[in-house]
Amino acid sequence: MSLLRSWLTSLPSYLWSGWGALASLFLLLAAWEAVASHYGALVLPAPLETFSRLLQLIDEGAAWPELLATSRRALLGFALSVAVGSVLGLAAGVSMTASMMARPLVTVLMGMPPIAWLVLAMLWFGASDGTPVFTVFIASFPLVFVGALQGTRTLDNQLKDMALAFRLPRRMLLLDVYLPHVVSYLFPAWITALAMAWKIVVMAELLATQDGVGAALAVSRSHLDTSATMAWITAVVGLLLAVEYLLLEPIKREVERWREVPS
Amino acid sequence: MLKTLSPRLANWSLLLCSFRPLFLATVLLAVVGVALWLGFLGFGIPLPGVPGGPLVWHAHEMLLGFGLAAVAGFVLTAVPEFTSTAAFGRQVGFGFLLLWLAARLSFWLSGVIGPWPAALFNSAFAIALVVLLTPRLLGDPLRRQYGFFGGLGALALVTVGFHVDAVAGQYPMRWLYAGIGVMMVLIVVAMSRISMRILNDAIQARRDAGHEVDEDYRARPPRRNLAIFCVSLFTLAEWLALPAPLNGWLALAAAAAMFNLLNDWHIGRALLERWSLMLYSVYWLMALGYGALGVSLLADGFASSAGRHLLTLGAMGVSILAVLCIAGRTHSGYALDQRRWVPIATCLLVLAALLRASAGLPGAPVPLLNMLAGLGWLTVFGLALRYMAPIWLRPRPDGGTGCEEPMDERSTGSGCRT
Repeated sequence: MSLLRSWLTSLPSYLWSGWGALASLFLLLAAWEAVASHYGALVLPAPLETFSRLLQLIDEGAAWPELLATSRRALLGFALSVAVGSVLGLAAGVSMTASMMARPLVTVLMGMPPIAWLVLAMLWFGASDGTPVFTVFIASFPLVFVGALQGTRTLDNQLKDMALAFRLPRRMLLLDVYLPHVVSYLFPAWITALAMAWKIVVMAELLATQDGVGAALAVSRSHLDTSATMAWITAVVGLLLAVEYLLLEPIKREVERWREVPS
Repeated sequence: MLKTLSPRLANWSLLLCSFRPLFLATVLLAVVGVALWLGFLGFGIPLPGVPGGPLVWHAHEMLLGFGLAAVAGFVLTAVPEFTSTAAFGRQVGFGFLLLWLAARLSFWLSGVIGPWPAALFNSAFAIALVVLLTPRLLGDPLRRQYGFFGGLGALALVTVGFHVDAVAGQYPMRWLYAGIGVMMVLIVVAMSRISMRILNDAIQARRDAGHEVDEDYRARPPRRNLAIFCVSLFTLAEWLALPAPLNGWLALAAAAAMFNLLNDWHIGRALLERWSLMLYSVYWLMALGYGALGVSLLADGFASSAGRHLLTLGAMGVSILAVLCIAGRTHSGYALDQRRWVPIATCLLVLAALLRASAGLPGAPVPLLNMLAGLGWLTVFGLALRYMAPIWLRPRPDGGTGCEEPMDERSTGSGCRT
C-alpha cells in the first residue's frame, strides 16, 4: 500500500521528467524528416505520412489483432525467460561451483545468433506460436540469467554477517537485505530482455507465422508499401516505449530508491 | 569625459548606472512602438517607411530596439557583477543611450535618408556591446561566461545581417526570426542566474517561516544545455529555410526541452511566490510558443504568428518586465517591489500573449484580438513607466553612487513618491 502511495505521489514529477525524452524523440523525428525529404517517400516516408498510415490501419481494424498477437508472443517468451532465467541465475549464484559451470554455457547461449535458434524453432514447432515464443525465450534467457547470477554473486557478505549478528529474522534478511540488491541487478536485465523480446518476436513472425506485426511487415514488403512498413515499425517501437517508460521504469526507480539514500 | 562635457550631465541621476538610461529607453519604446503599431493596425495611421515595410518596422523595433536595449541595460550591469569586475562608468550608459537613439532615429527615417545610417548605428550598438564586454566575459579562465558571449555575439550577427539584407534590397525578416531564437537563448542563460537567487530566496523565506524545505533550487546545466541546443537548432534550421515539417519537429523538440527545464523549478510552495511565478511563466510561454510554432509548421490552418508572439510578447515581454522590476530596483538601491501592480502587470502580459496567440487560430477575430493584446501590452508598460521611471530618474535613496545593491537594509520604500 505504501509502495502504491509513494508511486502515485511521485507519478506527476516522473511524468513531467518525460519531457526530456520527448525532446530527444522529436529530434529523432526531425532527423527522420530530413532523410525522408532527401530520399523521397518511396525510400523513407515522412513521419506524418507514417503516423497517418498507422491511424488508418487502426481505423480499419487491421492494427490491433496483429499488435495483440505480437504482444502475446513477446510477453509470453519474456515471462518465461524472466521466470526461468531469474530462478536458475539466483540458484547458480548461490554456489561458486554452479556459477563457474554456468558461465561457459551462458557464453554459448549468448554467442548463438537468434536467427539460428529461429531456424531450429521452425523445425521443432512449425508455423505455430511456439516458434516465436521459444525464440524470444532462448534469446532473452541468458541476459536474465547473467543479471540474476551477478546480483547473487555480488551480495555483501559483511552485510550478511552483520544481519546475522543482529539476529535479523530470516524474512527481513531476504526482503530488506538480499532482495533490494538482487533486484537492482535483475531489473536492468529484465528491461534489456524485454527490448530484445520485442525485436526477436518481430523477426520470428516475419519468417515463421501468418499473423502478427512481423507477418504484416512481410506483406507490406512484398507490396513495396514503405509507409505501411514504417507504420508497423512505429507501432512496435511505440508499444515498447510505452511498456518501458510507463510500467518498468517507474518500478525500477522505486526498487532502486535505496541507492539514493546517503550513507 | 562627461565631466568635461557638462558637470550637470555627469551628476544626472539617470546616468548613475548603465542600466538606468537603457531601461528607460526600453519602457518608452515599448509604449511608443506598440501605440504606433496599434494606430497603424486599427486606424491606418502610417508608420515610418523602412525597407521591408510596416511588419519589418514593428518586428525590428520590438526585437532590436526594445529587446536589445533591455539586454544591453541588463548585461552592462550584470556582467561586472558576474565576473567580479568594476562597474562601467557613467559615460558608457550615456554613450549607449546616444547610440540607441541614433539607431532609432536613423531606422525610422531610413525611408528618407536611405538604409546606410540605420545599418551603421544599429550595427555599431550591437557590436560595441560585444567588444566592450568580451574581455570581461572571457577574461577570467575560471569564470568564463560563454553563454552570454555567444548570445551577444549572435545578436550582433543578427543585427548586422538584417541591415546587410536591408541595404541590399532583400526582405530581411529571416534575421529577425533568428533574432527571436537568439533572444530566447539569452533569456535562458540570464534566467539561470537570476532564478538561482530568486527561488533560493523564496525557499529561505519559507524556511524562516518555519516550513520544512529539503532541497535548494539548482539551475542544472544539462537541462539548460538541452534547451539551448534545441532552440539554437530550430533557429538555425528556420534561418536556412529548411522544409517546414523538419522545422516543425525541431520546434516541438524545443518546446519539450523547455518543459523539461521546468523540472528544476518544481520546488513546492516556494514556487508560488510572486517573483518565482513570474520567472516560471517565462519558460511556460517559451514552451507554448515553440509548441505553437511546431504545430503551425506541421499542420495546416494555424498561423506561425501565434507561436512567435507567445515568444516575443509573452516570454520576452515578461522576462524583460521581470528584469526591469528586479535588477531595475535592486541596483537602484531599493528592495524588491511588493506592491500589487507587479502581479497585475504580469498576469495582464500573459493574458495579452495568449490573446495575441489565439488570433492565429483558424476563424479567430484577428483585429479584435490583436487590439486587445496590444492594449494589454500598453497598460503593462504604462504601469512600468509610472512605477519604475521615477526610480531611474532620481538619486538612490541609500546614498549609493553607482549600481550596487541596497546599501541600507531599510531601503524597502516603494520607490514612488506619493
